[in-house]
Amino acid sequence: MIELSNVKAFYPGGEGLELVNVTVKPGEFVYLIGPSGAGKSSVLKLIYMDIKPQSGFVRVNGFNSLNMKRKQIPLLRRKLGIIFQDFKLLTDRTVFENVAFTLNVTNSRQRDIKRKVLRVLAEVGLRHKENKMPHELSGGEQQRVAIARALVNEPIILLADEITGNLDPLSEEDIISLLEKIHAKGTAILMATHDNRLVRGKNRKIIRIEKGRTIN
Amino acid sequence: MITGYRYAIVEGFRGLKRAKFSTSISIFTIFLSLVIIAVFLIFILNVHWIVAQIQSRMELEAFIDNSYIQPQIDQLLLQIHEIEGVEEVRYISKQEAAEIFREQFGEDAFKILEDNPLPASFQIRLKPEYRSSEPTQNIFSEILKLDGIDEIIYRHDLLMILERYMHIFLVVIIVMGSLLALSSMILVSNTIKLIIYSRRKTIEIMKLVGATRSFIRRPFLIEGIVQGCLGGGLAALLFYLLFKIINIEIPNLIFVDTRIYLLLLILGIVLGFSGSVIALRKFIKY
Ligand SMILES: Nc1ncnc2c1ncn2[C@@H]1O[C@H](COP(=O)(O)OP(=O)(O)OP(=O)(O)O)[C@@H](O)[C@H]1O
Ligand SMILES: [Mg+2]
Repeated sequence: MIELSNVKAFYPGGEGLELVNVTVKPGEFVYLIGPSGAGKSSVLKLIYMDIKPQSGFVRVNGFNSLNMKRKQIPLLRRKLGIIFQDFKLLTDRTVFENVAFTLNVTNSRQRDIKRKVLRVLAEVGLRHKENKMPHELSGGEQQRVAIARALVNEPIILLADEITGNLDPLSEEDIISLLEKIHAKGTAILMATHDNRLVRGKNRKIIRIEKGRTIN
Repeated sequence: MITGYRYAIVEGFRGLKRAKFSTSISIFTIFLSLVIIAVFLIFILNVHWIVAQIQSRMELEAFIDNSYIQPQIDQLLLQIHEIEGVEEVRYISKQEAAEIFREQFGEDAFKILEDNPLPASFQIRLKPEYRSSEPTQNIFSEILKLDGIDEIIYRHDLLMILERYMHIFLVVIIVMGSLLALSSMILVSNTIKLIIYSRRKTIEIMKLVGATRSFIRRPFLIEGIVQGCLGGGLAALLFYLLFKIINIEIPNLIFVDTRIYLLLLILGIVLGFSGSVIALRKFIKY
């Protein structure tokens, strides 16, 4: 489903990825672990085609970086759910509007939007906060809104970039168990983190990355 | 499709409300540039109108040989009438000329003379498209070639001066108008850039969740068009009221083509729209 094969990708400054190999199969829960600056975010950017490899290739759900047109990037991203450490919510819109945003952007019908948004809000446990503004929510709740927004399009995979980095331990646990629930329903997850504790005692597939190189 | 446009319109207006200050500046910029452009335009239209008035009053006066008698004169009139560019030829007999003279200079001016010294003449009016100096010159020499025409009078020098100034005016005003339109477009695009910049986070999220380029651009283009409409509409309103007042106070002082209101509105929309297009190029690259 997702495959990065012998990817090299450098930023103008000369930093970047030396040699990356990653595969994620449908329904898998994969951790991408490495220290700060190792290149985790860059791997995710390659997957949602925010950056292009200089050599090697990236394949995502039938799209291939070698022959993909820029115009197809939006179509690819509609199949991905992306979540960040800093939530990236729209501060001037309600919880409902934030989640509906994904569907508005992809031209869904108004009636479908309401149904889908309420369902996914229930799934992340925020059905009762649909009319709140982001600043009225705790960090953990805000991250759930972001997860709802990523899920509402029924993506094939969630790409999570250090999503518990801003949260207290309790909220962190909440979010992790939410992800596990989502995974149990069949959505693949690729979770980037520098935090080894998150995988301790869990039997998960792990890809380690250091200085721009993945280590199997 | 339809839901997409509705969303863009809703978003566009939402954006206008959110960035009230920048939006007002943008509208004001469009308004001000259009007012200045319109002043230029009205000025040039009026100069043009005055020149046309003067041209239409400038007739050629061709004096007829004293020995010519009526059948020959009729023949001559027909010949002149056939020359290309001649609109109307009026015959002024010796008696009529004397009468006109009397009207202008008083009853007794002729009494000292026993004979009427004034020659008969033709008053020749040209078609509008032949009234500038070059074609007039050509017709002038055509008529002079005819047997029986002694002399032709017309104010060639005045016509030349008018035309020369018209040309200079036109060039100056077109250059200044274009510079103004260009600078206001840059100004508008800068203001819209600020508006877009203030919403870069929204744009970033739009990109992440799979919005197409045209979808992201659409609300901003709508905002540009709305700003242009408002700026242009205000300018049109201002001139509408202004002309109304002037026409009540001093009727027929200026000549106004009512299409100018529509023109202002369209120019405003063009300014707002192109300002947005220029601004967007910087922000949405894929
Ligand atoms: N936009 C960019 N321009 C230039 N260099 C960049 C850019 N983004 C990242 N880098 C560099 O690429 C390398 C990998 O960065 P990346 O963000 O992928 O690391 P990371 O593993 O996500 O780190 P962190 O855990 O701190 O988020 C770093 O050395 C970083 O400085
Ligand atoms: Mg990172």
